[in-house]
Amino acid sequence: MQTKIHLDEDEMPRRWYNIQADLPAPLDPPLNPKTGVPVTPGDLSAIFPAELIRQEMTAARFVDIPDEVIDILRLWRPSPLFRARRLEEYLKTPARIYYKYEGVSPAGSHKPNTAVPQAYYNRQEGIERLATETGAGQWGSALAFATCHFEMDCTVYMVRSSYAQKPYRKMMMQVWGAECHPSPSILTASGRAVLEKDPNTPGSLGIAISEAVEDAANHANTNYALGSVLNHVCLHQTVIGLEAREQLASVDEYPDVVIGAVGGGSNFAGIAFPFAGDKLTGKKPEVELIGVEPAACPTLTKGLYAYDYGDVAGLTPIMKMFTLGHDFVPPDIHAGGLRYHGVSPIVSRLVRDGVARAVSVYQNEVFDAAQTFARTEGIIPAPEAAHAIRTAIDVALECRRTGEARTILFNNTGHGHFDLASYEAYYAGILPDYDYPEELIRDALSRLPKVG
Amino acid sequence: MQELRVGFVVNPVAGMGGRVGLKGTDGLADRARALGAEPTAGARATAALLPLAGRPLRFVTAGGGMGEAALSAAGIAGFDCVYRPAVPTTALDTRAACRAILEQGVDLLLFCGGDGTARDVADAVGRAVPILGIPAGVKMYSSVFAVDPAAVGAVVPTDGPLRCTDAEVIDVDEAAYRANDLRTVLHAVVRTPVAPGLVQATKQVFEEADEDRARAAIGAFIADAMLPGVLYILGPGTTTGAVGRHLGLETTLLGFDAVLDGRLIKADLDENALLAQLEMVGEARLVLSVIGAQGFVLGRGTQVCTPSVLRRIGPRHLLLLGTPGKLVRTPALHIDTGDPALDAAFGPHLQVVTGYGTAQRKRVGGDPAAPIMGERNG
Ligand SMILES: Cc1ncc(COP(=O)(O)O)c(C=O)c1O
Repeated sequence: MQTKIHLDEDEMPRRWYNIQADLPAPLDPPLNPKTGVPVTPGDLSAIFPAELIRQEMTAARFVDIPDEVIDILRLWRPSPLFRARRLEEYLKTPARIYYKYEGVSPAGSHKPNTAVPQAYYNRQEGIERLATETGAGQWGSALAFATCHFEMDCTVYMVRSSYAQKPYRKMMMQVWGAECHPSPSILTASGRAVLEKDPNTPGSLGIAISEAVEDAANHANTNYALGSVLNHVCLHQTVIGLEAREQLASVDEYPDVVIGAVGGGSNFAGIAFPFAGDKLTGKKPEVELIGVEPAACPTLTKGLYAYDYGDVAGLTPIMKMFTLGHDFVPPDIHAGGLRYHGVSPIVSRLVRDGVARAVSVYQNEVFDAAQTFARTEGIIPAPEAAHAIRTAIDVALECRRTGEARTILFNNTGHGHFDLASYEAYYAGILPDYDYPEELIRDALSRLPKVG
Repeated sequence: MQELRVGFVVNPVAGMGGRVGLKGTDGLADRARALGAEPTAGARATAALLPLAGRPLRFVTAGGGMGEAALSAAGIAGFDCVYRPAVPTTALDTRAACRAILEQGVDLLLFCGGDGTARDVADAVGRAVPILGIPAGVKMYSSVFAVDPAAVGAVVPTDGPLRCTDAEVIDVDEAAYRANDLRTVLHAVVRTPVAPGLVQATKQVFEEADEDRARAAIGAFIADAMLPGVLYILGPGTTTGAVGRHLGLETTLLGFDAVLDGRLIKADLDENALLAQLEMVGEARLVLSVIGAQGFVLGRGTQVCTPSVLRRIGPRHLLLLGTPGKLVRTPALHIDTGDPALDAAFGPHLQVVTGYGTAQRKRVGGDPAAPIMGERNG
């Protein structure tokens, strides 16, 4: 029986799928943080190259992938689709479980899928350096890998608590030639402002974004790169779902359920958008799409659908999305990549419209699932990826109860080889089940003066 | 290197009541002896001291079974004996010995006993020096005890500074406890050393500064979330105290205080005073710290949290507070209101506020040692 379903290199998608073309109504426009009016391409040109701005706003259904980008993606793409037969047997489920494995990329996650084209377009337009933020270090290392292929410099602002905790991610960035600073740093005004108020702050993704955006805006040869949330990032990740749909078709399958973890939303977009497109256009109206988020940072399940900033300092465009508030600092969960207050505007729209839905899960049950997965399928997953595994297992167990033989597809976004300290905490029994104090936060917000 | 000065006090009769079913030895050492109990605290103290022999420590202790004997048995010479107890010893000796040791100036006070001994030590030294318990009592609900005697060696630093955190000393009503009625009251908040390095890789070492930071964040969050016209009852402890501090109120450390619209309207309430306050408002919230090593959420036994008070406020309106450092040492929470139906109304999990806008979910009851792994996958 077949375990891995491969595509040949020449079967790799040549075009990204842009779901904006199939949305029933266009997205609410992002707003300029200073003026409050819809952003123009000019507003963004200080930090993004023209082609990425075009991709951010385009309504074209497909966008061609440049040959130079495909050439690099070929180092690990197409990524394998696995049938998780041993997990199925362990769970005694009639469900068929498939997963796309993105941990085969050099950086060990799905993040290089967008890091490579972002570096490429910036280089095309003469940019010599990229500045970015990273939480747990996945995105920083992916961008370091990508810029190294285009002989660009790369500056990464890494959330201070992770900088201390994950020395190996930092070393990866150095191997690929990037420089990495703990954030908040004294290199930017945003960083200095935070340090002045609180010299011992552990930092946050929102603060690190402010620093990277400021760095890019103040240096003519430097642009900013974001590893999630934005439309063009989601666009680049659609190679995952496009490949998966082909791979499943080759064994006469089409998923009943598609599952991905949600941080900023990019890997969920990547695996789910091609199927969401099938749903929106009426080809497959029944397919179920589930985003999985941590109970500690439940943006889609408990956030507000509203305009908000993408960062702490308020430098990014204001976007209509589910948000927990741009000043919310999520607790220090081990799935550092899921610690973000907002989520992609497109993913938000799909959830608001009921095309996709979201669930939230606690840390210990996520590691229960990670352990089960590692002991059956072998791969030790990243804590972020394990969120998707948790829900895939839950759906499969539900199938065992109902006897339904559903086809489940989930995105295994990366391996956990640099996250073993979180497994250590799990086995020591000291992994907190972080939660979100929804009522108290609502009470606190109800007392804030209304602005704007 | 600077020699660390360590005070050392043993309660020689600690733990004797346990082996003969007395659930504590307070005032009952004679009865325990008559029932055939042998003193064991001295042997446990010696076991704890063995790894300390040969370290650059200077001990200051009391005579005979209150310290001297255990030090000698562990092969530690060259200590100062600054107090001679009466025989047989009583709680008065523990306090007097601690005071005498304190006068000599020490960096840490090591004691051997249970919750009753911890209470006597805390009464004598307060927050003046950090205290660390060698577990030898019948009840050890306070958070000042090393996990076992052998762990004491790891907690006393071989070099570098002594890092400390706040810890509660819990008063368990022994007479009630013997009737299987667990009544706990926060008796004092003292300082106790933390063990840096033991679980370093997972970054779960919390120091005093982290704890203070977390408490301040919790205080600010609760203060920001206080709704107008709602009565907030702040229970005992330093974490609930942070709410009062944020509001600039003079709340009590060990009592229950009523706060309405940002003002302290009555401090140190008893049950009747609280019920009277509750009569005057529509809605109320009970704000409690997670207390002690066993994760008590105070219920029965405090003057205030009687089942009728809790029913009036409503289980949904309990706001639990705890720093991440406290919770990492607290596998599960315990609720014991004296009314099983009311206990059940709190559900199998409670949310504990741990910072500004952050919380943790904690299991209520059950075996704290039970594994959490593999719960749902089989
Ligand atoms: C392995 C892995 N999976 C998932 C995510 C979540 O991000 P996104 O929602 O953008 O896919 C991250 C982010 O760092 C990650 O590193």
